[in-house]
Amino acid sequence: MREQRRKDAVWRFLTYAFVITMVVVMMVPLYWMLVAATLPQEQFLQFPPRLIPGTAFLDNFAALQERLDFVRTIRNSVLIAVVYTLLSLVLCSMAGFAFAKYEFKFKEPIFYTILATLVLPIQLLVIPLFLLMAQLDWTNTFRAIILPWAANPIGIFLMRQNMKSIPDALLESARMDGATEFQIFYRIALPTMRSSLAALAIILFLFQWDLFLYPLVILETADMYTIPIGLAQLTGFQRIYYDQIMVAATLAIVPMVVLFLVLQKQFVSGILAGSLKE
Amino acid sequence: MSGINITELDKVYDSGTENVVAVENLSVEINHGEFLVLVGPSGCGKSTTLRCLAGLEDVTDGSIRFGDNDVTDHRASERDVAMVFQNYALYPHMTVRGNIGFGLKLSTKLTGDEIEQKVESVAEMLGISKLLDEKPKALSGGQQQRVALGRAIVREPSVFLMDEPLSNLDAKLRSDMRTELQELQADLDVTTVYVTHDQTEAMAMGDRIAVMDGGVLQQVGPPEEVYRSPVNQFVADFIGSPSINLLSADVEGETLRGPGGFTYELDDPEPIAGHDRVRVGVRPEDITVVDSGQNTADVTVVEPMGNENFLYMEMDGHELTARVDPSIRPAEETQVSFDFREAALYLFDAQTGDALKTKTDNVDPAVVGATED
Repeated sequence: MREQRRKDAVWRFLTYAFVITMVVVMMVPLYWMLVAATLPQEQFLQFPPRLIPGTAFLDNFAALQERLDFVRTIRNSVLIAVVYTLLSLVLCSMAGFAFAKYEFKFKEPIFYTILATLVLPIQLLVIPLFLLMAQLDWTNTFRAIILPWAANPIGIFLMRQNMKSIPDALLESARMDGATEFQIFYRIALPTMRSSLAALAIILFLFQWDLFLYPLVILETADMYTIPIGLAQLTGFQRIYYDQIMVAATLAIVPMVVLFLVLQKQFVSGILAGSLKE
Repeated sequence: MSGINITELDKVYDSGTENVVAVENLSVEINHGEFLVLVGPSGCGKSTTLRCLAGLEDVTDGSIRFGDNDVTDHRASERDVAMVFQNYALYPHMTVRGNIGFGLKLSTKLTGDEIEQKVESVAEMLGISKLLDEKPKALSGGQQQRVALGRAIVREPSVFLMDEPLSNLDAKLRSDMRTELQELQADLDVTTVYVTHDQTEAMAMGDRIAVMDGGVLQQVGPPEEVYRSPVNQFVADFIGSPSINLLSADVEGETLRGPGGFTYELDDPEPIAGHDRVRVGVRPEDITVVDSGQNTADVTVVEPMGNENFLYMEMDGHELTARVDPSIRPAEETQVSFDFREAALYLFDAQTGDALKTKTDNVDPAVVGATED
């Protein structure tokens, strides 16, 4: 008994030690980014490194804004990511609903074909997509960034798996109540999927937020740049503007954090609880 | 308001490699305002039949009419039916008010106030007025059940369909709701088709019951008729609790000889004429324990029910059940003699299972049970 309790305590200690180590490993770069954003360039490179925040954040930001118009860059990124996320949520949830709840010809082959596109890396798609966009005369436009990825295979897969958990009786009940198929989707299926939609929204937003190579090829003028491309502009041949990069990087994570905080309360499990008597 | 006419209904599922026949050549006429119970073991096609009536499944062949309306090819929403599901299928993200009013909101042109009024009057009828602003997950099973009923009632459909609506409730609540449902159905005077696998429920609730097996309708009739005059061994076995005692017996002239020395001499051998072997059936309540007699069995278990005792007996490996007076309580492992009246005897064809003789043959129902041998 006592032996067992000691064993448990040791295990608990080891678990906590591991978790804390992992947290530190992950938080240190983040902290360093925040600190560095507040330091002038000279202090940034000094050794031993300075770990206490400085006061140069606004100066660094002013320099960044002058070089890049970073406010507009953020606005571009937010606009693209928000529109993309909303559009993709609609498409993925509709496709997922169809794959989960309807029977149609070649359903399985179509679904697996969509899944198979996951193995294609973006790098492989960049050139053909660029040629396509050039033919459509869509280069240097936001729609060229948004539309090709709108039907996201991961999103479709995720929504299909989750929609499968909606009891058929719930949909049939709505059908008996006189709901059209679209009403069933919109008024019954979607509201029960809130936590999955929130999770998917974060995945989609992050995907578009981080997209680098493809926008780099498509977007030609500085006024259209997104954050990853803007950040890349700060690494010159002569000089790397660490202070400005750190400010930009710090600002770049703000929308993600906000999004996460907003959606966090949707991650409550048991949205479906109470619909069916087990 | 209408009756239902099902004509030669077939439902075949095509599973790719083979066809599964769920319902075969089903014809039933259900009168306006009638409470018909579809009963049978799981997989007998009763739920599929109900789903065909609801418009949730296409029919393979045959037709369904509600009153003068052929609804065979109508969608569920066009049939003016409401269904209560076994697991209630309440919309989890809506309040009780939202759940009950959802159908009205979608399928009628009523104003918000009118809907609200109807929802409230139905809630009052079902005693759930205080729960209108709760979400389903905050409700008990019985309350969820009432909400599901309310959702069906509020639309004032011409047909109610119920798919085992009471099977998830505990025994006490189930029998309360049983009565309540019957009263409600009688008040509303709506044609109702009710599916259950519980024969007690079927007997208790149905104006008529329809027994199904293997996708085929076996018998339709008032509960007493189905109980007393089953058309075949399956119906006799399925209806009645505890189940009828069945054993195989050889026919020797006017005498039936079964396992464990069972013998029974028939006064009227006409039903077994031309048969070498038959199945003999006796309802548990028709078996009487006697001081001495031809037939004996070993008592294995005695279950006192209070108002009666169930005797479980064994006769050369064949189980027998008897419902007897509570004063009769033989010790377990003892041998008792038993007897029954010929009028209470059922006989079935050993091969086809078709009834050769049933309880009601030549028997006035009023007399049965009034006299003791």
